[in-house]
Amino acid sequence: MKVHKVSPRSRNEQRKRHPPKNKWRVHNKKISNVDPSGLSSSPATAKLEHHLATRQKLKLKRLQKVYTKAVDLTLEDNHSVRAKGKVSAPVTLPQAHTNGGTEVEAASDSEDSQEWRSYAKSVLQNGMERRGGRENSAPAASEQLEDEELPGYHAQHDHVQNHTVLVLQQGQSLCFRGRCLLTCLSGRVEVLGFTIEQGQQPYPLFSPSSHCPLTITALGDCTPSTKNKKEGRLEAKAIVRKYLSSEPRKRLLSEVDSDSCVVLLQPLDTPLTRFLSSFSELSPLFDINSKELRSQAAVYDPALSAVGVTALRGPCRQGLVTSLSYREALSNLLSAWEGDFDRCPIVLVCGAKNSGKSTFNRHLINSLLNHTASVEYLECDLGQTEFTPPGCLSLSTVTEPLLGPPFTHQREPDHMVFYGQADCQADLDRYLDSLKTLWRHYSGENPIIINTMGWVKGHGFQLLLDLIRFFSVTHLVQLSYGDTPQCHSLTPEFLRSAQGWQTHPPSQPSITDEPVSHLSARSHVLLSVHSEFEGAGTSGEMRHQRSNELRDLALLGYFSHLQSSEPGPIRPLHCFTPYQVPHSAVAIGVTHCEVAPNHILYAANASLVGLCCLGEKVSGRGGPVLLSQVPICHCVGLGVLRGVDMARGLYFLVTPVPPAALRQVNCLLLGEIKMPKILFTTQHGVEMELPYVTTDYSFDITGAGKLHVFKRRTRTCFVNTKTNN
Amino acid sequence: SINESVGPTLRHVVAWMSRAEWEQLLENLHSGQTALQTHALHRLSAWRGRFGNNTPVAVESTANLVRCQVLDSSGKLEGDDLVLLYSMALTRCVNLILERRQSRVARSLRNLASKLNIPEWIVNLRHDMTHRRLPSLKWCRKGCEFILNWLRQEYWSRQLNGRVIEDWSSSSEEEEDEEERSKRHEEERAKRQRDIEAHKKARELLISYEREQFQVYEELQSRNSEHGPWPNATADLSWILAQIKQFGSESRDVLVGALVQDGFLIPTGEQLESLDINPSEDLLDPLTPCLPRVFLRFWFPLWKVLNSPSFITPIMDKLFAELSNEPTNHRAYYISAWISEILHCNSKSESKAVRRMKMMKERIFVSRVLFQWQDLISACLNAPCPATPFLLQQILSDMDKPLPPATQQNLLRLCSIYTQSNHGDCSPTNTDSSQTVYTLESLQERLEGATHDRLSPNHTPQTVQATPTTDLQEYLSAETIQERNAALRGSPWSVCTDKVPWKLYPLGKVPGQSEDPSCLMVETYSTLTVFDQQVELDHIPPPHGNTSGLMQSRTGSDGPLWTHNDLSKLKAGLKLF
Repeated sequence: MKVHKVSPRSRNEQRKRHPPKNKWRVHNKKISNVDPSGLSSSPATAKLEHHLATRQKLKLKRLQKVYTKAVDLTLEDNHSVRAKGKVSAPVTLPQAHTNGGTEVEAASDSEDSQEWRSYAKSVLQNGMERRGGRENSAPAASEQLEDEELPGYHAQHDHVQNHTVLVLQQGQSLCFRGRCLLTCLSGRVEVLGFTIEQGQQPYPLFSPSSHCPLTITALGDCTPSTKNKKEGRLEAKAIVRKYLSSEPRKRLLSEVDSDSCVVLLQPLDTPLTRFLSSFSELSPLFDINSKELRSQAAVYDPALSAVGVTALRGPCRQGLVTSLSYREALSNLLSAWEGDFDRCPIVLVCGAKNSGKSTFNRHLINSLLNHTASVEYLECDLGQTEFTPPGCLSLSTVTEPLLGPPFTHQREPDHMVFYGQADCQADLDRYLDSLKTLWRHYSGENPIIINTMGWVKGHGFQLLLDLIRFFSVTHLVQLSYGDTPQCHSLTPEFLRSAQGWQTHPPSQPSITDEPVSHLSARSHVLLSVHSEFEGAGTSGEMRHQRSNELRDLALLGYFSHLQSSEPGPIRPLHCFTPYQVPHSAVAIGVTHCEVAPNHILYAANASLVGLCCLGEKVSGRGGPVLLSQVPICHCVGLGVLRGVDMARGLYFLVTPVPPAALRQVNCLLLGEIKMPKILFTTQHGVEMELPYVTTDYSFDITGAGKLHVFKRRTRTCFVNTKTNN
Repeated sequence: SINESVGPTLRHVVAWMSRAEWEQLLENLHSGQTALQTHALHRLSAWRGRFGNNTPVAVESTANLVRCQVLDSSGKLEGDDLVLLYSMALTRCVNLILERRQSRVARSLRNLASKLNIPEWIVNLRHDMTHRRLPSLKWCRKGCEFILNWLRQEYWSRQLNGRVIEDWSSSSEEEEDEEERSKRHEEERAKRQRDIEAHKKARELLISYEREQFQVYEELQSRNSEHGPWPNATADLSWILAQIKQFGSESRDVLVGALVQDGFLIPTGEQLESLDINPSEDLLDPLTPCLPRVFLRFWFPLWKVLNSPSFITPIMDKLFAELSNEPTNHRAYYISAWISEILHCNSKSESKAVRRMKMMKERIFVSRVLFQWQDLISACLNAPCPATPFLLQQILSDMDKPLPPATQQNLLRLCSIYTQSNHGDCSPTNTDSSQTVYTLESLQERLEGATHDRLSPNHTPQTVQATPTTDLQEYLSAETIQERNAALRGSPWSVCTDKVPWKLYPLGKVPGQSEDPSCLMVETYSTLTVFDQQVELDHIPPPHGNTSGLMQSRTGSDGPLWTHNDLSKLKAGLKLF
């Protein structure tokens, strides 16, 4: 069975039948119904299995447009020009280390794989195409180019329906700050690797000042060229007419052509955005950042700003800067996905802090979601988690594209373990064991992306080696920046001799009697990516860019799930009706330090807790039940221990976790990840003095601050010698 | 107090629930009694749990050093054990404290220490501990004692007394040059000292003024003419007034600040009685505040010397600011009465009363002060109190360019709806259906929200507007509760169905919670041991099969060292010494 490109009309009909919630809704449901044990033999599953077997692979969205020869030539040109022009600069080309003869790009003549391959190739081209002009021309010329593009946004706002229709010409792009809901009305656009076509559901886009801005790029139309130009133009014009009232319509119609993309932008108002904007400190979060302000990058366009979008110009409109090695790695992985799943791709992405792992992951996931229903994701980074609050390790099934930073898509993972700290240095074994626990839940049926932490030195590097070995990684993406590598290149050869924290290199076999198959099973393809974006390797200095601020945002994003989805007042956390549980029915433990048992409630009151499920029954004999050590157990989510009733022996808890999951919880873990300060200081409606909040603490007094590690300190003698010279 | 003039305050999240908890810890820590010190150490372990890696260096260092002392006095450890313990605690303390003073260019610890009043022998002791022969136990004890005293003086006694200047993050991220820093500190300290001196002087001057005026009043009283005009200033009074005028021109803000304190422009009950004014508040109408004549005359000579616009405008600002600062009813009455009086004297319409005042030379001003009317209106509206409509009326009718009558009326009506929830004279007769209907509760909510916002300077007016007029409390429908409880049935969890106005209880507080900082002490607890955490990827055990439990129960006898009651007794006992 093949899914064929359906005409826009019939697509729209489909859309009516299935509410536009998820473009893969049907398939997703089926996938989640598959019994992982595969033992179930009900007729329904049997049918599904058959269905899956015949399909081999889920291909749900297909881009049928085959790129023209001209574009292919551009690629060649770019490649050669670039290679010649940048002799001095170190261009790290990805090195594909295939070992032991596993041919990942096994030849397959099926139509499917051809499409996969052409798509994989297009990824490579897309980036080139977009950046090509700027990279190759002299700076002056590129500026000129941008100046020309400047007034080019054809957008009109309809005041009655409060939405904006934007017309983009093929290849034109809109790099922006803000947030909106995007629906593609005609043609095809791409956002961070994800293509959105006519007839697909609306997608929320978040481009806050904390991250690299998003870019909406109009791609070539993919409809078969059965229609002539005129028909195409008329169809596009009909769409514009449908969405705009007469006055703004007039101004836009003349801009519409057969190959232009028409997108609908609507204001985005979600519990998350409303919750965040209820804090005045966070109200500028979706505005342009200070750097963009300084370079006067904002384009004033009333039609765009009416829906919460600020277009950027100048150097700031560059958006995501992808290097050649980046695009090649991406293309390589997309090709690998095409393989026949007898060896499911297990992709591990690693690199030092701020080398661009997170963006690469999002880009990769989005690109994959163009063709596959779901991607598995294992989170091994405790500090900057993608789907969960910080301090948690998790395994997720991703079915929706990631068109914003992590705090905009806090989702319930399939499995989660609460670690409690933003890095794993305190307990390396618990970290590895937690990940192993999660790995047991990985079905092995779907490809998986493993995100790792930015700690790639010393023990961090050893842990990385362990992860590569534990998970039998097939593709390893190693990101780096600058002239000197941040850590040793993780080639299969290197892994054969390197010591991990828990794992050791296999004992050297004699060349003769070692079965080749065993070795090949353990080797991987290394894809080296050299990040070339501005500020690679340095942490953000602007507001909302520091890692602790991002962690706070993730937590705010998580707790925004408490807010009602209907418009209404935004409630501070203390206003919610809590759940209650007796002290003796749930165990309590601290992950990061020793707390005297009698004083445990002083640590727990008004704290963030991991809601965990221990295997054993918890029933104390009055009073709290304390854990003697930190368990590794399933965590259903986080909550705030809102208060303690000493007289009745109850904990009060506020959490967005649904009751069906909460019922399993019998263990509360306290971690080092704290509630965002803002949730304590902003508690409207409270008349009494706020506990744990003071205005009288002075940081000017000696010893009042936290332990501070200074880096890069020069000794006085060095300074002296320098001045003497 | 003096602190109010220092500037906006920042809210910090700390590990102690209240000042009482802080003070209790401080007391125990420095009690010198092993049992109390142990209690303090245990509480500090909970604080460390809360602070995480934000634990103040001084708190951690104190805990380490006190731990050494406690272990030392327990007699369970040998001398050599103790030397090792002391060495680590002392070394860490000296390093951590001095480390924070480092700037980009490394400096010698000795240099840094001398700036912090840490003597050289302490630095040498640290040096011996890390690089040379371990010092003797005697020296360790001496060093520990010294550093603990130093921490007490430099950190514990000073903390929570002053005001905040920096933030956690800003202070931690800052890499200020050490010299600049100490210079800035010195300057700040000097400024604070100057402020305190100036404030003292202002109070002294005003008190001497009051003393002089009371004498005058007593004389008038003895002649039974206290209701008539007051005599011209005596030589003494003139001298005091000249001094005040001089002072006012030098440090106007300090004088203004002192004037609005209780006991000056806001009379104390005692003062009112000595002026034969009934201090009972029942007689006063808070809606139309008016100063007792005698009291006005009492202050009149002072106003006469301070009647320049450059003084009247700041005092109006200050009065409104004080009014917005949740004053007591008594304060609110007198503050609004003074505002009203000033507005009245400045009135452009020459009413009879004004003319009479003029004749009696009882007008504060010689010439009219031109206020910034817009500012005045917003100041007035920002300080809602029962008298706000009354004051607003005065301002509106006094403006040089009056607002359109309709605007005036709307403003006044809104204002009276907002401030006088118990007055039914503003029934919505001509309101159309599109207008929002305010309920009593929603307005109170707004008022609360507004006052709350004023307290935290981080809030921009935007949030004040955003503060919803609807109730913040979440009310779950009976079905939702039923639905949730059905999902939770069979587990120990349930939805709390107590009728609690949760919106009034901040995080960490529940109804009926005692103010006693010992209220969260646990007297009985049990311990759960979870075994066998090893996870082998090759050998996958059945779900939940990897853990088995062991439950131990402990009671007060071998668990907690001190119960709440024990502590109270101990504390009561302490006072006998």
